[in-house]
Amino acid sequence: MTIFLQASFEGLALGAVYSLVAIGFVLIYKAMDVLSFAQPALAVVGAGIISALAVDRGINFWIAFIIALIATGLLSAILERTFLRPMVGEPVFAVAILTIGLDIILRTVLDDWIGLNPRSMGDPITTWGEFGSLTVLNNYGGVIMKFQEMGALITALVSVLFLRYFFKISKYGIAMRATSFDQEASLAQGINVGRIFGLVWFIAGILATFAGFFITGGFNLLTQASFISALRALPAVVIGGLDSIPGAIVGSLIIGLTQGYVGYYQFPFESATGIILGSGFSLLAPYLIMFVILIIKPDGLFGTEEVERV
Amino acid sequence: MKGRPKLYTNYQKETAILNTTTQKVWALLGLLLLIISSFYLSQYWMFLVTTALLISIAAWGLNIVSGFAGQISLAHGAFIGIGTYVSAVLGGVGSAYIRGYELDMLIWLPLAGIVPALVGLMVAPLAVRLKGLNLGLVTLGLVYISSFIFSNWKSVTGGSGVGRKTARLKIFGIDFNDGFYLGSYHIEKNQFIFFLSLLLFILAGAGIKNLMRSKIGRAYAAIRDRDIAAEAIGINLYRYKASAFALSSFYAGVSGAIIFLMSGGVDPSQFNLVYSVTFIAIVIIGGAGTVLGPLFGAVFFSLIPGVIKSLIHFFGAYGQLLPLHPTQIERLIFALLLIGFLIFEPRGLWGVWFRLRNYFKAWPFSY
Repeated sequence: MTIFLQASFEGLALGAVYSLVAIGFVLIYKAMDVLSFAQPALAVVGAGIISALAVDRGINFWIAFIIALIATGLLSAILERTFLRPMVGEPVFAVAILTIGLDIILRTVLDDWIGLNPRSMGDPITTWGEFGSLTVLNNYGGVIMKFQEMGALITALVSVLFLRYFFKISKYGIAMRATSFDQEASLAQGINVGRIFGLVWFIAGILATFAGFFITGGFNLLTQASFISALRALPAVVIGGLDSIPGAIVGSLIIGLTQGYVGYYQFPFESATGIILGSGFSLLAPYLIMFVILIIKPDGLFGTEEVERV
Repeated sequence: MKGRPKLYTNYQKETAILNTTTQKVWALLGLLLLIISSFYLSQYWMFLVTTALLISIAAWGLNIVSGFAGQISLAHGAFIGIGTYVSAVLGGVGSAYIRGYELDMLIWLPLAGIVPALVGLMVAPLAVRLKGLNLGLVTLGLVYISSFIFSNWKSVTGGSGVGRKTARLKIFGIDFNDGFYLGSYHIEKNQFIFFLSLLLFILAGAGIKNLMRSKIGRAYAAIRDRDIAAEAIGINLYRYKASAFALSSFYAGVSGAIIFLMSGGVDPSQFNLVYSVTFIAIVIIGGAGTVLGPLFGAVFFSLIPGVIKSLIHFFGAYGQLLPLHPTQIERLIFALLLIGFLIFEPRGLWGVWFRLRNYFKAWPFSY
C-alpha cells in the first residue's frame, strides 16, 4: 500500500510537470495549428538560464528564476516572430519539421554549454525539510513527498486555474479563443493576430521554464539528457488530443502515473512472472500507451474529430 | 529527327528512364567522373563520397514514402537500424555474448532489405488509419520503441555504449576485408565498397525512376495529393500505403547495412531521433518528391564535414580556438539550412537547380 501511494504521488507530480509542457503544446497548436517540437528544448533553455544566473553569476535564486521565466518567454516569442511567422499557411508538417530544426539548434548550443558534468540549479529546495522532502501518512508506512514535486503540482494547478480565468475574462484571452476559432474572421474583427501568436508563445515559454525547473531542480540536476524528460509531454498531448487543454492535463496524468507505477512495480513484476521488460521500460511505456490510444481513437481522447471533404 | 531531341515518336521513348540526350550525357559524365576520381581521391574523401552514395539511397527510400506517397515517417532511422543489425548478425563474427553467423554477402544483403520491408508492412495498418501529424507522432513513437529494443537486445546489438562489429565483407566465399589483388593492382576494402555502393546506387536510382513512371508511382502521387479523392477513383489505399512503407524500408535497410559495413562498428544509440530527422532534412534540403533532390541533399550532407574540416585547416583554427566542436558546427549549419530552405525555397536544392536551368535554357531571353 505504501508503495502504491508513493508511486501514485510521484506519478501525479510527474504528470503535473508534463502538463506544464503539454499545455504549451496545446496552446500553440490551437492558436496557429503548429505542433512545436521546440517546446522541450525551451524547457531546458529555461533551466539553463536559471543555472547560469544563480550558480555561475551568483544571483539570488528566486530573482534568477523570475528573470529566466521572462527571458525564456521572450526567446520563445522571438523564435515565433522570426521563424514561424513567415510559415503561416504552409503545410502543417513543414512547420513541424521547422520546429525540429529550431529544437536541434537550441539543443546543440545548450549541450555545448552544459558539457559533460551535471549542473545544479542553485535552488534552496534541497535544504528544506529532510533533504528537500517531507514524510506524510506515517501510519500507512510513510510516503516521502519532495517539496519539488509538491511545487510542481501546485504550479500546474495554479497555471490551469489562471489560464481558465484568463481565457474566460481577459480581453487577450477572448481574442486568443477567437483566433484559434478562425484567424481571418478575428483579423476582420480588429484582433492583432500576430500579437496573439507572440503572446501564446510567450505563455508557452514561461510554462516550459517552470517544467524545466521542476525536471532539473533539487537533486535531479541539469544534464544533456534532461531534454528527453521534457519530450515525454509529447505522447501526453497526443493521448489527450492535440487541441484540448483538459486532454493535455489528463494525458499528462496518464503518462506520469504510468511512469510512476512502472518504475515501482516493474521489478516485482519481472521477478514474479519471469518476463524481463528491460531497463528503461518506464520511459518507453508512455509511447506504447500513445500507440494503443492512437489506433483506437486517432484524434486522441478529447480531441475534436477532423472532418474531411474531397 | 536529329536536331530535335524533344520530339518523341513513340511512348516508350518518352517514358524512358533517361529521356533526353542531356540527361544521358550528364549521367554518363557523372559516372565517369566518380569512377576516375575513385583512383585519385584521398582515403577520407573517398569515404565521404561513398557515404554520399549510400545516404542518397536511404534518402530515396524516405522520398518514396514521404515525397511521393506523402506519408510522414520519422522512423526512417529505425528502419536503417533494423537493416544494419540484420546484416551484422548474419554476416558478422560472433562471440560468447554476441550472435554472428559469418554468412556470405549474397545472403545478408538482400535480407538486410527484406526484413525491414516486412517490419514496414507491419507499420502500414497504422499509416492507413492515421494521417498527417498523428502519423508522424506514431512514427516518432516507433523511434523510441526501436531504440529501446536496440539498447536492450544485447545478444544482437551489444548494448548501448558498447556496440558490436558489423558484417564481414565476404562474397562467394572470398574474404575482401584486407583487400585483394586484381592482377598486380591492389584494391582496398573501401575502394571495393565504393564500387559496390556505386552499383547499388545505380540500381536504386533506376529503380526509383522506374517506380515513378509506373502505375504504382502514379497511385502514390494521387494519394499524396488527396487521399480521399484517390480512394474514390479506385486506388486501394491500404495496398499502396503499405507498399510505400515496405519499399522505403527496403532502401533504408540495404543502405544501412553498407554504411555500417564501411565504418566497421555500430552502437545502438546511433539510431536516435536526430538520425531520423537528418534524413528528413536531407530530403527537404534536396527537394521532396523529386528523384534528383534527395541525391543533391545527400551529397550536400555528406560533403559538409569534409568542407568544414578543410576550411578549419585553411584558416588554421584548431580545437581551442573554435567555440564549438566541428560536429556541432555541422549540426548547426544543417539545422539552419533546413529552416532556411523551408522558409525560402520549399522545393529545396532541386528548386534552385530548376530555376537556374530554366534561366540558362531561355538565355538570352530569360527574365
